[in-house]
Parts: sequence; C-alpha cells; structure tokens
Amino acid sequence: MIEAFFMAISPSYLMYMTIGVLLGLVVGTLPGLTATMGTALLVPFTFALPTGEGIAMLGGLYVCAMFSDAIPACLVNTPGTPAAMATGFDGHPMVKQGRGQEAIVAACFASALGTIFGAGCYLLLAWPMVSIALKFGPPQFFWLGVFALTIIGSLAGKSILKGLAGAAIGIIISCIGISHAAEINRFTLNIPELRGGVSLVAGLIGVFAVPQVLSMILDLKKQDYVAEYRPEKGVVIKTIKKVLSAPIHFLRSAVIGSFIGILPGAGSPIAAIVSYNEAIRWSKDKSQYGKGDIRGVTASEIANNAAAPAAMIPLVTLGVPGSAPAAVIAGALMLRGLNPGPELFGSNAALVYSFGWSLLIAGIVVFFIGMLATPLLVKIIKIPLRLLAPLIMFLAIIGAYAIRNNIFDVYLMLIIGIFVFLVRRLGFHPGPIGLGLILGPIIEPSLVQSLYISHAVGVQKVFFSGSVNIILIGLSIFSVSAVALSRFRSKSKPETQ
Amino acid sequence: MKTSTLMKSITASFFGAAMLLTGGVAQADYPCKEATFIVPYSPGGGSDQMARRLVPGMEEALGVSVNIVYKTGGGGAVGFSELHRSKADGCTFSNTVVPNVIISSKGDGVGYKPGDFEYIGMTESAAGALMVPLDSEYQTIDAFVAAALENPGMLTVAGTGGSGLSRWNQLEEVLGIETTYVPVGGGVGKMIPMLAGSHIDGAATGSNHGTKHKAIVNTILLAGENPVSTLPGVPTEPDWNYVITWGLMAPPGTPADVVETLNAAMNSAAQSSSVQDALLNGGYVSHNMSVAEVNAFMDGEIAKYAD
Repeated sequence: MIEAFFMAISPSYLMYMTIGVLLGLVVGTLPGLTATMGTALLVPFTFALPTGEGIAMLGGLYVCAMFSDAIPACLVNTPGTPAAMATGFDGHPMVKQGRGQEAIVAACFASALGTIFGAGCYLLLAWPMVSIALKFGPPQFFWLGVFALTIIGSLAGKSILKGLAGAAIGIIISCIGISHAAEINRFTLNIPELRGGVSLVAGLIGVFAVPQVLSMILDLKKQDYVAEYRPEKGVVIKTIKKVLSAPIHFLRSAVIGSFIGILPGAGSPIAAIVSYNEAIRWSKDKSQYGKGDIRGVTASEIANNAAAPAAMIPLVTLGVPGSAPAAVIAGALMLRGLNPGPELFGSNAALVYSFGWSLLIAGIVVFFIGMLATPLLVKIIKIPLRLLAPLIMFLAIIGAYAIRNNIFDVYLMLIIGIFVFLVRRLGFHPGPIGLGLILGPIIEPSLVQSLYISHAVGVQKVFFSGSVNIILIGLSIFSVSAVALSRFRSKSKPETQ
Repeated sequence: MKTSTLMKSITASFFGAAMLLTGGVAQADYPCKEATFIVPYSPGGGSDQMARRLVPGMEEALGVSVNIVYKTGGGGAVGFSELHRSKADGCTFSNTVVPNVIISSKGDGVGYKPGDFEYIGMTESAAGALMVPLDSEYQTIDAFVAAALENPGMLTVAGTGGSGLSRWNQLEEVLGIETTYVPVGGGVGKMIPMLAGSHIDGAATGSNHGTKHKAIVNTILLAGENPVSTLPGVPTEPDWNYVITWGLMAPPGTPADVVETLNAAMNSAAQSSSVQDALLNGGYVSHNMSVAEVNAFMDGEIAKYAD
C-alpha cells in the first residue's frame, strides 16, 4: 500500500490525474455532460498512457464532476449531473441571498472531504464493506428507493399531497418506454422515439432548467440579475471553518455516501438525496433547510463525492461496477486485458491501491482547483438575466441533445419543462418530480424482480424478512411519521407571521 | 489573471479533445465522416466490451472515428429499435446479439423484425452457462436438478429480460424441471451481485460471464457439445442448443457496398492478435464470416426461433 502511495504521487500520475480533474470541472459544470459521458469520451485517450496513469485520469474526471455539477445547481438551479439535484435545494437559495461564493466554496470543500473519505474506505475497508453490499438484492433496493422517497416530506413545501403527486408524476415519466423486465411498451403513445424512454439527464434539465429560464423571463421587468453579487473577503476561511465545525454532520453524510456508493446501481444521486434527508432529520434547527442552509449543500456534496470512490469498491473486489462511470473505468481496464475484480486484486494489488490513492489525492486537487476557479465561476450571476436566460436555454438544449445525440430528447425536455413550469404555479415543487425521475429506475425493476422471486419463496419472506429489509422499512416508517408529526404540530400552532 | 489562464487552458484542452474525437479523414469507400456504434446494453457489459475491442481496429480500417453510444433497456430492444429507425447510410450500426435480437422482436410493438436488419458479420460466440453462487447448496447440475424436482417452482433463476426466459425455458424442458424465472434488465452486470449475494439460486447467461466472474460464481452447466477451455470440468448439455453470438448490424436498407466495407473493417479488427487473445482468454469462440455467410447464419437462427 505504501508502494502504491509512492506510485500515486509520482509526477506522471499527478499530472494526468490533474488533467482529469480539469476536464471534470468542465464536464460537471455543463448540464447534460455527465461523469459517465465524460469518462466514456476520455477512455480512448487514456490508451496512450500506462494503465495506472490512465485510470487515475478517469478517476480524477469522475470525482471532480461530482463537485462541479454543484456549480450550475447553485448558481442557476440546474444540476450539472443528476447527483447535484439535492445540492440545488439549498445552494440556489444561498445564491439568491447573495451568498454565492459561500455556496460554491462550501460545495467544493465538502466535495474534497467526501472524496477523501470515500477513497479512505476504498483503501482500508473495501472487503468488509462489499460483504454488506452483497446483502442488497432486489427487495432491499426496493426499500432503499422507498426510503429515499420519504424525502418528499421535507421537499414538498406546503402541501404533502402535491409532493406525493409530483413524485408519482416523476416515477410515471421514468416508466415510459420498453420495460426493463420484459419487452413491453408503456406510455409510448405509438411514438417510436418514446420506446427508449425519457433520458434521465434530459428529464432533469427539463424539470429544473426550463422552468428556471421561463420564470427569469417573467421576472425581467422586476429584476436584472439572478442575485446580487457581493464578493466578501475571508469568505473562504469562514466557510471552511463553518463546514469543519460540524464533524458529526460530515461523518454522517460521508458514511451514507460511501455506503450507498458501494451498492451497484444506486450511485451518487441516491447518496446525495438520502444524505440530504438525513441531515434534515438529525438537525435541531430544521427551519432553514430549503431556504439556504449551508448544511443542505454540504450534506449533498459530501455524500455524492464519497459515493464516487466507493463505487469503485465493488469493481475491484467483485468485478461489478458500482456506478455507470465505474463501469466505463472497468471497460477501460478490460480492454487492456486486465480483469477488474478479485483476480486483479490478487495479481496487481499495487495498481488497485495506487488508484485508491489517486482518487484520494484527486479530492485535494479538486479543492485547490475549485478554489482557483470559484471567483470566476461565481461571476456567472453577474451576467444580466436577459443574457443569462438564453445562455442557460442554449446549454439546456445542447445538453439534452448531447446525452443521446437525439433531437427528440430536446423536445421531451421542453415539454417536461413547460409542464413543470405550469404545475409550479399550482404549488408543485420541482424537487419531487426530479426525485421520481431518479428513483423510478431503481424502484420499479427491483419491485418487479422481488415480485418474481416472491412467487417462488413468498411475499413475506422476500419483502419483510432479513435485517436490511427490516431496518429500511423501520427507517421509512420513522421518517414518514416524523414528518406527519411535525406537520401536525406546525398546523396546530397559531401562525406567527 | 491566474484564474483566466486556467479557464482558458481548461477550455482549450476540452476543445482539443473534442477536435481529436471528431478528426480523421474519411476514406473514399466509406461514405461517412464519422460512425456511430450503438451498444444496446449497459457500459461494461459483454456488448460494450466487444464494441470497445473492435473500435480501434475499425477506426483504422474505415479512417473515421467511431463513437460508442449506449441505448439500454428491454433486453436490447431499445437499442435495436433505435438502430431500426436510424438513417440507412451505414454511418450508424449496432451490436447484434443472437438470439436476443430475434426473441426481443417478438415483444409487443417493439417495431422491428430480425429479418429487417442488414447484418454486417459475426465475430464471436459463447455457450449458454448456468451459474450458481459460490456458496450455493447446489454445486453440481445433479444437485440443482434434484432440488428443483423436490420443490417445483421454488428455485429462482435470473436471465436477461424476456429473451432470457425462452432460452431458460428450453433448458427447463430438457432437464424436466420447473423453476421461477427472474428477468433482469440492462445486461448481465446487474445479475452478478444478485448471484454473489445469493438473492437468486442461479443465473442463465453465457460462458464468457462464467469465465469473467469465475472468482465469485460457479458455472455448473454449459450448453452444447463442446467444453469451454476457460471453464474446465464443467459438464455440457447437448440438448440445450443455446449459443450467444455477437456481431454487427446496420439499419434496414443500408447499401450493400457499405455493408461490405463495414464487414471488411470489422473482420480485420476482429482478427488482430490482441482481439483474438482477448476472445480466447474470455471464454469465447471466434468467427470470421463474410456477408453471405452471416445472412445464411441469420436465416437459420431466425428459423430456429420461429414459433
């Protein structure tokens, strides 16, 4: 492991990893360019490099994209990748209050910490963690999805019913197309393009970016900028101190992120959502969440970054990638004739460990590069709305198109966007709709598979036995009843405002 | 100043990468500036591996860049129907997996028939394999069959979507057993952790997966007559005629000369020593078919799976 560390700090490793980080900054910042797409585009170039440097570069891109996706999420309320959805819940209100720099610095520092924690798990706890991950089969994934859905309680705003309806709409949109389990067309209205389903990225751009642009246009007469830009001296140190002053919050978010990251198929978006929800639950003062609480930003960013190195754990232990970018990295290894998994761990442990160290160091590099870029990036909000609105629209269209090179995705994005803009006026929050889009592809196939399995061994045994199931069901019930209780209390209290 | 040079270098490196990707001069006999390679299964799966193995050699032979795009879902049906709708100019092609492309076409309104496509060629095949968890109670096919006979319908076996169901049903018939089938979408990648964690009793996929995941799952039966060198000692079942064959196909109506160009490029890429080594170590059998041979092969396969 020490030998691997010296490999990872050799100049060539550091250089290529840093190039990866810089590319990740661009990939994450542009909505529509996801970490998966970024790594997939980069793979051919890494073949010119030795294996270690090549995967260090890919890893650098991946972890940096998990930070930089927070930038558009905060500044213009459009997540750069699905993993940053929860970051925007508090990040964007912070920007609106003129705390843009604080939001980005917090996201960057939190991302760096999360990456280092996740990489630490990779280096020290890979085998014990993966044995827990194997306890997750279809029913456990189903309950994990249900548990993640309970975040609606904190997102829904005034009406919990509208929150539930929003999530249902999101899940139904995610079910469009040929079903995963069997070749059945659903909600395709005989439009052939719909058979492939609504791409998650295009859907999320529609849910968040389009309504944002439309309300910017409506507000043009009232305001000229997204928010005031107030550069503040010493904000970096102040923000870092703020993040460091909550060690329990950090630990909780990092553990959730690493653990969910290790589950094959769950990944950074779910990690961020669950972590955000838990941050609210464990806070004494919940009133500021959704209105610009810095803990909302850090909870999401710590977790989605911790999940990135953690997603490599099942890859190096079992040969099964924990996320889509991890799958791309697996492909890059296999094309070199290496078989990631127990075999590679046995035959070339130095490579496996040096990758872990590279990810850890990438966390530090992300912080410094983020700090250099922040003053510049925050200036985006100095762009007047009449220029910013078309710019976001332009990026949204490019992003929706680029994800599958399909103009139909752009139409879908626009339709979903206009729909969300309209229902937002009726008091629906876009958050639950985006949540449904992300969770649908986890909940639905795992429910179907669980039902098939319970056909053989019984519903009770599949869904309601086993420690993981019981814990997840218990957490879900606890979460729902806590929300119900607090809503009941706030209703019975006389309005003070 | 510092930050602006940084941004410039970021943008420059990004655009540099983009230009490299789209660069390259088209050769006279291949009419496209670049090619799109649709992979109908998840990144990292068998089809993705195949695509990535072939792309460097094909780029060299065609003289253009070949970009991989993933269109996953419905046991491959999403990607196949996407290809079916693509422009028939030879600039877009996809993996084809036989029999998946035939079986998935029987799905409700998927929008393609296996006979519609222009097949470019087949590069490799793998035998069907029944795999169980390492710590399974049933470490031999006899033990598995005995357990299934004792408790009909109580053992769970995963396969890929609806295509996997019919090939599993065939083995059930041969063995005279009854089990519960669990469809898993998006490729075999998602099935392996389910198997390793003993959430299912078995999984029916290909010898390539049995080889790749040798360290965490056991293969207890292979389809066909021939043993697989990477899985020594595993019994074969001649009546389970399930072979998975991988190749490339183009949208219906793609001009014959372009299909020939693609066939030549594909075969030259597949016959390189690095690809051949990868196939041998991966538990595959390699093929080198002309367009006429692949069409004859497909006619036979389509007839085999006709109802």
